[in-house]
Amino acid sequence: MTAPTAPTATPDVDVDDSVAFDHPWKVLVWDDPVNLMTYVAFVFRKLFGFSRAKADQLMMQVHIEGRAVVSSGNKEKAELDVFRLHEHGLWATLEQDS
Amino acid sequence: MSVFRHRRFRWVDDVVRVDLPADDQDLLRTVLPQLREMLMAADDPALHRLNPPARADDEKAEAAYREMVDDDLLIQRLEAIEIVEEGIDGVDLDESGITAWMQSLNALRLVLAARLDIDIMGHDPIEDLDDDDPRMPIAAVYEWLGFLLGSLVDEAMNGFDD
Repeated sequence: MTAPTAPTATPDVDVDDSVAFDHPWKVLVWDDPVNLMTYVAFVFRKLFGFSRAKADQLMMQVHIEGRAVVSSGNKEKAELDVFRLHEHGLWATLEQDS
Repeated sequence: MSVFRHRRFRWVDDVVRVDLPADDQDLLRTVLPQLREMLMAADDPALHRLNPPARADDEKAEAAYREMVDDDLLIQRLEAIEIVEEGIDGVDLDESGITAWMQSLNALRLVLAARLDIDIMGHDPIEDLDDDDPRMPIAAVYEWLGFLLGSLVDEAMNGFDD
């Protein structure tokens, strides 16, 4: 058995993290016949800081499998990522992991 | 075509230098105001591809999302068009300039792709259309925009570390 220890301080939790108990959201990018492959990989690198290899791999996954998950997190982050992808003309959606 | 040998974008000391032939400049000065008008009128179905559904599974959530972002998306696109217009006759693009150019060139491509029914037709409209098809001029502009954007992406890649 163990006795609870008194915390020395209130946990330092960002308000945005309070949704950590919720199911995470994921951002998907879908294949389309218009966007250039090099452009899509470029946008992945710029927005998410991926290496060239990682960006190319995700771009190819979109191209071949029709879609790929490019980011995940709480709802606000997922919405912001979708917004930034739409700014760049990519076809992105968000959905909650079930 | 020899006109495509002209080097339109070049990575120089952490910027992309824009040097467009006169014909390219004229064409951009024609199509960018058309894109702006279309964005402002907001009733053209071709715009749907610029603002695709973010929440395909949930109509109510989609409406709320649109309400939240559509104005911001519009403002951002109009600003990007303005940045491109200011640099058409030659400019050095920093990171934000590169972004504005890429977003605008790509937005033009998406809108023209909707006009051409690229979704149905396939990737290469010039190949697929008959020579006398009235959409042939649109296809030529679409292809040219793809060339421009691709060239810009190739040069801007130099801005990454690896």
